[in-house]
Amino acid sequence: MNIHVLDKSIYTAVTEAIRSEATRLLTAGDVTVIVGYAAARRKGSAQPIVITSSADADKLIFTPACVNNLAVYLTKAKKEIPKGGKIGIVVKGCDLKALVGLMGESQLKREELYLIGVPCVGVLASTVQPATELTAETIASKCRECDAHLPSGCDLLPNVVLPPMPQLEGKYSAEIARLEALPPAERWAFWKEQFAKCIKCYACRQVCPFCFCEQCLCDRNKPQMVDTTPRPAGNTAWHIVRAMHLAGRCAGCAECERVCPMDIPLNLLNRKMAKELKELFDYEAGFEVNEKGPLSTYTEKDDQSFIK
Amino acid sequence: MNQTTQHGFEPKIIAFVCTWCTYAGADLAGTSRMQYPANVRVLKFPCTGRIDPVFILKAFQQGADGVLVSGCHPGDCHYIAGNFHARRRFAAFRKLLEFIGVDLSRLQFSWVSAAEGGKWVEVVTDLTEKVRAMGPMVEFKELALEEQWSGVIDTPELKEAYNAI
Amino acid sequence: MQKYISQQNLNTLLDKLITKGIRVVAPRISAGIPLYEPLKCSDEMVTDQLPRRSAKEAFFPVCEEIMSYEKEGQQVKLTDVDPARFPETVLVGVRPCDAAAIPVLDAVFSWDYKDEFFLERRRKTTIIGLACTTADDACFCTAVGLSPAETRGSDLFLTLLDGGGYACESYSEKGEALINGNGELFSESNNAVPFHLAAPQAEKIDLKKVKAWLDEHFEDPLWDGIAVRCVGCGACAFVCPACHCFDIVDEGTEKNGKRRKSWDACGFWKFTHHASGHNPRDLQPKRYRNRIMHKFKYYDDKFGQTLCTGCGRCVRICPVGIDIAAIVDEINKK
Repeated sequence: MNIHVLDKSIYTAVTEAIRSEATRLLTAGDVTVIVGYAAARRKGSAQPIVITSSADADKLIFTPACVNNLAVYLTKAKKEIPKGGKIGIVVKGCDLKALVGLMGESQLKREELYLIGVPCVGVLASTVQPATELTAETIASKCRECDAHLPSGCDLLPNVVLPPMPQLEGKYSAEIARLEALPPAERWAFWKEQFAKCIKCYACRQVCPFCFCEQCLCDRNKPQMVDTTPRPAGNTAWHIVRAMHLAGRCAGCAECERVCPMDIPLNLLNRKMAKELKELFDYEAGFEVNEKGPLSTYTEKDDQSFIK
Repeated sequence: MNQTTQHGFEPKIIAFVCTWCTYAGADLAGTSRMQYPANVRVLKFPCTGRIDPVFILKAFQQGADGVLVSGCHPGDCHYIAGNFHARRRFAAFRKLLEFIGVDLSRLQFSWVSAAEGGKWVEVVTDLTEKVRAMGPMVEFKELALEEQWSGVIDTPELKEAYNAI
Repeated sequence: MQKYISQQNLNTLLDKLITKGIRVVAPRISAGIPLYEPLKCSDEMVTDQLPRRSAKEAFFPVCEEIMSYEKEGQQVKLTDVDPARFPETVLVGVRPCDAAAIPVLDAVFSWDYKDEFFLERRRKTTIIGLACTTADDACFCTAVGLSPAETRGSDLFLTLLDGGGYACESYSEKGEALINGNGELFSESNNAVPFHLAAPQAEKIDLKKVKAWLDEHFEDPLWDGIAVRCVGCGACAFVCPACHCFDIVDEGTEKNGKRRKSWDACGFWKFTHHASGHNPRDLQPKRYRNRIMHKFKYYDDKFGQTLCTGCGRCVRICPVGIDIAAIVDEINKK
């Protein structure tokens, strides 16, 4: 089965819209910098680009290889992008959820951003070559369960009609259900094998828009809460801490999982926590700015059946 | 025959408690000369809201067989809402640990007030006996001895340590 | 001396070595991805996929103990690791780009300080290289002067033949010894045609010219342009067959613990962070510049070679698509 899920003309139209808007914004001086995507050397590949001149607007593109969540560049942890003045940023629906989360955590102000929203059918999985056609087999797992093909509340949303989306089976929900049904010892064995591969390159942390701490708990040695060496013990502790620190904050862009050079299914942890927080506190990441996440607030009636 | 050899295994229980309620409750149990298992090691914090989930991980990694987290009853927090925040955080953390494959019977949460010496004894005794019946927590201890294949040196000492778990 | 060994005999050889207690490390599928790991039996070996991590970890582990300590009363007992305990190893199915990186590492670890951890493992390891038959557009060994049939670093080198089996050439005493000790499994070369080798498309780069440019351009707008998007992880250095920086940390309690050595990466903010709080490489472009400078200038200054074998791993895994081949090509064209 090789379902072609999209019509390429949409991408051309979106690319055109991004370029003309970028030219207008930079020429008029409405923004000082635009963070977007540009083509890279490998066939079909794309990479993040930061432009400050309208002469570079033609470099901007949008294709199914535009996998990055660019929100990461706007956090205080990334000091390389000039933050003075208004910043333009190209956002997919999933990326916008991350920006919304950052606004809720007082890291960004809406009025300092110019959001160029992109209608998105889906992006390619990290396991395929960038030039691959986008099909039901090659689409990223997160996109199979996407509810945000159209970002809302952007300053610009190109007026294109998305093709009808095929119903794809959710891989994360299926895998979470499979793991939940296993005895604890088998779940432990599964994660032990996965975490053993970790080399502590911290790509998962560095691409995460929510890992903006200037000094990570795991980089500190007084006290050393998590062993820093890439051994099974420290790896397991690191991934548990990471999942916990993102619980109720993660916007579901799945960048951590995409960038893992060892293919550790990190987003499973994030999806599991999202599912639990939905059940426990009826919280879901979305397009509305919430000043308090589910773990930074409480009600007196919260469930305490697990407490003696 | 002393207690240790009778049971063969004495669980190590780490209790993270708040200073205002549970620590005072445990103190009351002591001053009232109530008996409770000596397996528990108490660590005092200002509030359950200060107890970071990473402390629980660290406790397991350093050899705890069971962990207790205990503080003031809802509404009694010295800092008004610390325990409400903790309640949410631990509700989430339990689910994460469970998903990783940790048996939640080893992790107990409780509210014990300064007046509840008896409840402290009950909570600690229950957890100790439950963990004693389950046997040692081997998962994290095994993990601590494991290496990436490339760093493995086959030493008799390491094998011995592994077999000792 | 060219020999022939059939696939079956190669498997027999590996199984024989495993039975003898020799650690046989080869690409195998581990938790879903290809990695160089010790084999339990020869069937596990997969040769059609490039392992995600390079073969360097056979000598330079991801993490290794270098010392342990134990405190009793006022006495502290220190125990060194005895390199005599490192296992005899045969590393097999090594890609030419991985094997060629090993002499590069040798130079570093046996320079002013002789690193016994690396060198002892190296002494105890026989490397069987395998000519490369699969390449993608991230591969660029041809750009840095190597090729899918490069034999540098291999003790024995296998080339898959059309019709099965391998041509086997020995390049060292270790290689000779392996053939001589298992003579019955090898036959005289039958002059068969090699299976089609991989053909990476990257054009050869003038590395001297690149170095000459780097010599003059420590400060250059190029660095900001390419590295403004670098997010500062260590993935590129960790998957690299030639990167060799490491950190040393003590882990344990006040009673006992271990001193460990583990991979480190110049992309990390913490890499050059001083105790005073000052960081000479304060922004990501400066850190990324160091990566390029070290590979194509500093290493060349010291050892007269390039610290890159064109395996393309960093190009494939970079979270933000930074492409070292494209960067060096851009410098080459300046």
